[in-house]
Amino acid sequence: MDEKEVYSLAIEAILEADADKANKALDSAKTAGIPFINVLNNGFSKGMEEFGEMFSSGEVFLPQLIVSAKVMSGAAARIEEDILASGGKIQKKGKAVIATVAGDVHDIGKGIVCTMLRAAGIEVYDLGRDVQVDAIIAKSEEVEADIIGTSTLLTHCMAEQLKLEDELKKRGIRDKYRTVVGGAPVTRKWANKIGADYYGNDGNDGVKVCNEILNKKYG
Amino acid sequence: MDKYKTRMGDGSICYQTAQEIREDIESGVAYAAKKAKIEPLTKEEQDRIFEIITAPGYITSVDVEKLVVSTTDCGAAPFCREGAIPVKRSVEALIHERAFCSDSYDLGFTEYTYKAIKPIVRYEAQEMRNAQQQNVMPILYGAMPNMGFYTQPDGMFENWSELIPAGEIDRARAAQEGAMENCIKDILAVADEMAAAGADGINLDTCGASGDTDFLASLRATEEISQKYPNMGIMFGAAGEFVLGMHGKLTYDGKRIAGMWPHQQGEVVQKAGAAIYGPAMNTNCNESFAWNISRVTTWVKKTTETIDIPVHVNCGMGVGGICMTEMLPVDVVCRADMCLIEIGKIDGL
Repeated sequence: MDEKEVYSLAIEAILEADADKANKALDSAKTAGIPFINVLNNGFSKGMEEFGEMFSSGEVFLPQLIVSAKVMSGAAARIEEDILASGGKIQKKGKAVIATVAGDVHDIGKGIVCTMLRAAGIEVYDLGRDVQVDAIIAKSEEVEADIIGTSTLLTHCMAEQLKLEDELKKRGIRDKYRTVVGGAPVTRKWANKIGADYYGNDGNDGVKVCNEILNKKYG
Repeated sequence: MDKYKTRMGDGSICYQTAQEIREDIESGVAYAAKKAKIEPLTKEEQDRIFEIITAPGYITSVDVEKLVVSTTDCGAAPFCREGAIPVKRSVEALIHERAFCSDSYDLGFTEYTYKAIKPIVRYEAQEMRNAQQQNVMPILYGAMPNMGFYTQPDGMFENWSELIPAGEIDRARAAQEGAMENCIKDILAVADEMAAAGADGINLDTCGASGDTDFLASLRATEEISQKYPNMGIMFGAAGEFVLGMHGKLTYDGKRIAGMWPHQQGEVVQKAGAAIYGPAMNTNCNESFAWNISRVTTWVKKTTETIDIPVHVNCGMGVGGICMTEMLPVDVVCRADMCLIEIGKIDGL
């Protein structure tokens, strides 16, 4: 199997949520002497991007997304193992603290974002739902996060996203983080209005936005 | 530059220039066309939406010959339920017929779910009998399939909304499939009693609220009711513009249910034997009325072109281009209705 075929197989493994194919892609890469990190970047990650596009356009759905993300995580774990075994170091792309804001118990959309961010190689701290601004800031400070992402499905809870912006400014730590807002009633206009740095339309868009932030920060 | 008084999706008043309104119309149409992979509205149709939005006067109306009938869902109980005025629902139906000149009435219980109604269905059937004896207009009985009511601790099935994020996809699907069978049984049990009580129709409202399994349960119930009681019309109201794929693999008539847009939903609803299809398209609070109604009209036009059964669009709080407010602003309601009748070619509201 040549390099191109290995990458294609890795992409296929994600699109079809097939763990066996993912392992076969990695086995073939090992035999052909293709570095695993290349399979991750040119195969699995590409597959996840393509899958994210399909999810955004309503061609695949939540259960498939979760299964594909599991295949991705499994492949990523094996690649990490291989890197560590050969004396290498694992470098995460960056850290994101994610939460559904106080007063809102909707979890699924935020969960999708977390799953997709993890699959994209970002270290995610999922604080769950109904989370107070204080707790979001405390965790972000503790883990030295790069990104704070908040979600809400309820119009009346959107004010919590504004509260987060105000509180970060009040504490003089606003510039330490890039804030991303999302959720069904949230729009780019709202993000601009409250002074959030970015708006994420859905899980896939969230990954693109976070990648953009981290690429700008770390290159 | 002159500005027109209009509203945002949350009902707040805003002022937009002609150019801003035109841009929002174009953007709403483009959004709908791209998402559902359908044709956008023509330039002439977009111009007509602009004329309707910017028409002088608080209230606008279609020409008399274009008036359409209205059906309702459980929101038709403003006195006894929402207003807490002590009148029986059968009396409220009379008020709707004789004071409001309503075209039809939807008799429903406060706990608007087939599962919750099943234990009290005899009481509900008696209320239907009373209403039928007093009224001339069609009276339907309505409730929601509401498949979420079948999960633990309220029901016997595992909660798929917890199982899916945990990666337990097979268990989540099995739970949904089990809940679906029970949901169909409950809908049929209520339909049997209502048919015996002389109901003119049955309203399956907000179908698909729990995703594609909820939608399929409603389709299968529609199929059975329409075959068993061909004279009892079925109104099938959708939950949203897009059927959520909580299961993801279910099909009806060979078509995957998850991901269906209004015109595709309408096709399977018609196939199942419904008499009326009520597409529901949600309002985005942070976009203007122009954006919202243009988006909705694009989907509705495609739906009425695609299916033959009457299309009665859900127009109310937060749906059908209407603002997300409890007291609906009349200026928006009549303009939304005009767009849907003139361009969307709907049969009813």
